Amino acid sequence: MHVGGGFIVFIVNFLIRRLAQGVIIVFLVSFLIFTLLRVIPGDPVRLMAGGMAPDHVIDQIAEDMGLRDPIPVQFVRYMGGVLQGDLGQSFIRPASGAAVGGASFDDNTRSERAEVFDLIADTAPFTLQLALLAMAFALIVALPVGIYGGLRPGKWPDRLALYMGSLFISLPNFWLGIVLALVLSVNLGWLPAIGYQGFAYTILPAIVLAVEIAPFLIRSLTVSVAQNMRENYISVAAIRGIGHRRIVMAHALKNASVPLLNLLGVQFSMLLGGVLVVEFIFDYPGLGLLTINAVLQRDFPLIQGIAIVTSAAFVVINIIVDLVATTIDPRLEY
Amino acid sequence: MGTPLLDVSNLTVAVGEGASAPRVLTDISFTLEPRGILGVIGGSGAGKSVLAKAIINWLESPLRVVTGKVMFEGRDILTMSDRETRLLRGKAIGYVGGNPSGALDPTMTVGAQIVEKLQAVEPGTSYRKAQERVVALLDAVRIPSSDQRFNEYPFQYSGGMMQRAMIVDALVSNPRLIVADSITQPLDVTVGAQILKLLRELRDEFDTSILFVSNSLPTVADVSDRVIVLDRGIAVEQQPTADLITSPRSAETRQLIDELPTLWAHDDRSRLKPASEDARPIMSVRDVSRNYALASRGLLNFGPKRILQAVRHVDFDIYEGENFGIVGESGCGKSTLTRLLTALEPPDTGQITFEGKDIFGRGKEGTRAFRRRMQLVLQDPYNSLPPRNSIGTIIGEPLVIHGLASRKERRSRVLEVMAEVGLPASLYEELPMVLTAGQRQRVNVGRALILEPRLMLMDETLSALGQTEQGQLLDLLEKLQAQHGVTYLYISHDIAMVRRVCARVAVMYLGEVVELAENETLFFNPGHPYSRALLSAAPTLESRRYRSEDCLLDGEPPSPIDLPSGCAFASRCPQAFDRCLIENPRLQSRGGLNRAACHLLDSENTVPKEVSA
Ligand SMILES: Nc1ncnc2c1ncn2[C@@H]1O[C@H](COP(=O)(O)OP(=O)(O)O)[C@@H](O)[C@H]1O
Ligand code: SF4
Ligand SMILES: [Mg+2]
Repeated sequence: MHVGGGFIVFIVNFLIRRLAQGVIIVFLVSFLIFTLLRVIPGDPVRLMAGGMAPDHVIDQIAEDMGLRDPIPVQFVRYMGGVLQGDLGQSFIRPASGAAVGGASFDDNTRSERAEVFDLIADTAPFTLQLALLAMAFALIVALPVGIYGGLRPGKWPDRLALYMGSLFISLPNFWLGIVLALVLSVNLGWLPAIGYQGFAYTILPAIVLAVEIAPFLIRSLTVSVAQNMRENYISVAAIRGIGHRRIVMAHALKNASVPLLNLLGVQFSMLLGGVLVVEFIFDYPGLGLLTINAVLQRDFPLIQGIAIVTSAAFVVINIIVDLVATTIDPRLEY
Repeated sequence: MGTPLLDVSNLTVAVGEGASAPRVLTDISFTLEPRGILGVIGGSGAGKSVLAKAIINWLESPLRVVTGKVMFEGRDILTMSDRETRLLRGKAIGYVGGNPSGALDPTMTVGAQIVEKLQAVEPGTSYRKAQERVVALLDAVRIPSSDQRFNEYPFQYSGGMMQRAMIVDALVSNPRLIVADSITQPLDVTVGAQILKLLRELRDEFDTSILFVSNSLPTVADVSDRVIVLDRGIAVEQQPTADLITSPRSAETRQLIDELPTLWAHDDRSRLKPASEDARPIMSVRDVSRNYALASRGLLNFGPKRILQAVRHVDFDIYEGENFGIVGESGCGKSTLTRLLTALEPPDTGQITFEGKDIFGRGKEGTRAFRRRMQLVLQDPYNSLPPRNSIGTIIGEPLVIHGLASRKERRSRVLEVMAEVGLPASLYEELPMVLTAGQRQRVNVGRALILEPRLMLMDETLSALGQTEQGQLLDLLEKLQAQHGVTYLYISHDIAMVRRVCARVAVMYLGEVVELAENETLFFNPGHPYSRALLSAAPTLESRRYRSEDCLLDGEPPSPIDLPSGCAFASRCPQAFDRCLIENPRLQSRGGLNRAACHLLDSENTVPKEVSA
């Protein structure tokens, strides 16, 4: 199977099929969000133009922006833009500087509103950096604890993994965030906590997130390592004369890595899409904070843009995970 | 002779600690010379596997060596350090178990894992060198296109091929001793026979000694120079093979020999009832086919869909009250046919009627009613019973599913059935854990019987049982048939059992019925070369009517995907000729109820003639 051209054919088939599925998913998500945003009460134009603007001005702006057209028409127009990489413009934010919600209706800088694409492109790297660091922290703890726990079922390493997982899972993230900020930042002054002025600002929120996801990684590892160590091929390997180290490293861990990989994919997607609370607590300028503000300000184009970008990211992560998993365990191809 | 390679003396193994711990091996002593093949035979639970594991010092708690020595080339394996044992294991002693599936890491290619093993026990071997050696050995055990197979994963191997790969794995380090525990048990007789042949060749070629463990006396007798008979952990007899068979000394050995079903000699225990043409068919299978479409392998899934033809134009009748058998190698379509006959899947074309009615013709209700009158009794007595339900609940469950009896009626009905299948009423509240293999099978039979079916389909039901238990179960089934007039359909790869009970037999190969014959005709005058190959491979102590040298071909059936035109057996048929490659032979009558599909029959006049032994 993985011999010669067969593998290339498989990869190409796989990518094309999965990308096509991905496009459909992203399209459906967009349509859902788009429709929801337009049927919930509240007129964003009123927010944009300011409470003082006369009704005819509001109507005029709305008309100009096409907001009075039927939803499908608006959607088609919007998606036409998306296909060309244009996610539209923020209702609220100017091209530079902070949000200007509630600005005066005759403010002539209003046409200089920020591109949604730029807003996302500016914040996404921060979230990506946070997610990667959180993942790294979580793995540094989960790998040794989980693997060792799985190799010694019922013994103290197993119990350590269990207790550690239960402890981590019972800590609420907002509480942990505040405590860590108070202790490490305010009292000890070791790490900066609020805002972002350099890489060090990522560490505290990453620790909080790592504590949040580590229990799942530990659990998955202990279970799948222990399960693989009970497999026939492991005990047979010893009889075949293969050393214990190699049995664990090259076989048990390799087999246990597939479920872990799937879990990592899911966790990573969650980190990209929804670290709302943690970014909010630490005032960390990532996608989470951007989302919160966009929602509070009813900045529809921005909410939509974020939804499309994150769902596209989910799709890509998923494809990568499945591709790697199939390379590790070729049975998945069938 | 010099010092023996292996010298086991006074080996006693117990389960658990303490002087009163039950013994599973008692005072076993034997020696194995270089180049010798020593057979170990015994019923299930006799201690064969424990003995095999003790020899490689692989006993896991609660098993414990009480006394004894296992001297290998003058050193006691049982007192070696872990390190020494490990060096000995992969290198000097190879072990092959009876369960090749799951014996290798599913995520690595078979070749890479054998190379890994060789490099582990012979550090410093280059990958290239190791690979060359593995491919050469894969060739030696007749794995076709070995250099391609080297790069395939375990799940791409059939059971027979995997067993051969495990033999290569054991051989690759040129061990002085191979311990083979039940290696032919999971295999088809044809493949098993090939493996036995291979072992003998290996001994001749590589001077390997072999400890061959099996529960089948004919199989052990086939390969071994000497045989030890184990019974409940005691070596009751030890003799050169020929002497053991002609003049057994112990009662246990004599019983083993007497219980063996015979293929050609007259057998008093034969349960055959002659087939008759005037009997009424209870089930008719008319030109039934079943295909599965597989994804194409081309770019973007373009290109022709690949079709797997699992069952092809199968056509037969099963008569009321008879025993009908279906035999064939694994992968020949038996399981698919079982699913069709039990209405789990409809056929693509053709029709299956039961008591005159199409089993799919009357909607869901009709199918449900049919399923009550036709019951499937499954194979694998160790895994099919839910471990946490009481035996009474398990047997009564079909009544609940079909909503047939109130709670009170159910209990009395279950007890009635338990009595009928020979299970003591005291087992009603017990869990399946306490049952022996034979009793488990009785539970399965009782579960089917409770719905008072007209037809019972036995899918490899008896193949996991030892000879004694199998005989008892056959007695039971016969009794039930006499009382209730049930019809049995046996699906099996056990030719000897089919010989004993089935009046008519269908032989399947690659989805087709290639021969449909009455018992005597099939065994004494088979009409199809494949039937002869099956007969030549069946384990037996009798002198064979068909020698495997003439009838048995190497290899395995071709893939049922994209079958070539012509006779499907042509690639392995010793008698194939030009026409076979072009034209698929049709089933033709050979007189009476006998039919076979082979072009050679055109020259044989339809009157069956006697074939010399
Ligand atoms: N790991 C074990 N723990 C406890 N009892 C065992 C274990 N393995 C085997 N036995 C017992 O030892 C006896 C012999 O078993 P075994 O060697 O597997 O028989 P055989 O291979 O001849 O069928 C049986 O009574 C079985 O229950
Ligand atoms: S038709 Fe030809 S190939 Fe097929 S079984 Fe008969 S002789 Fe062999
Ligand atoms: Mg055994």
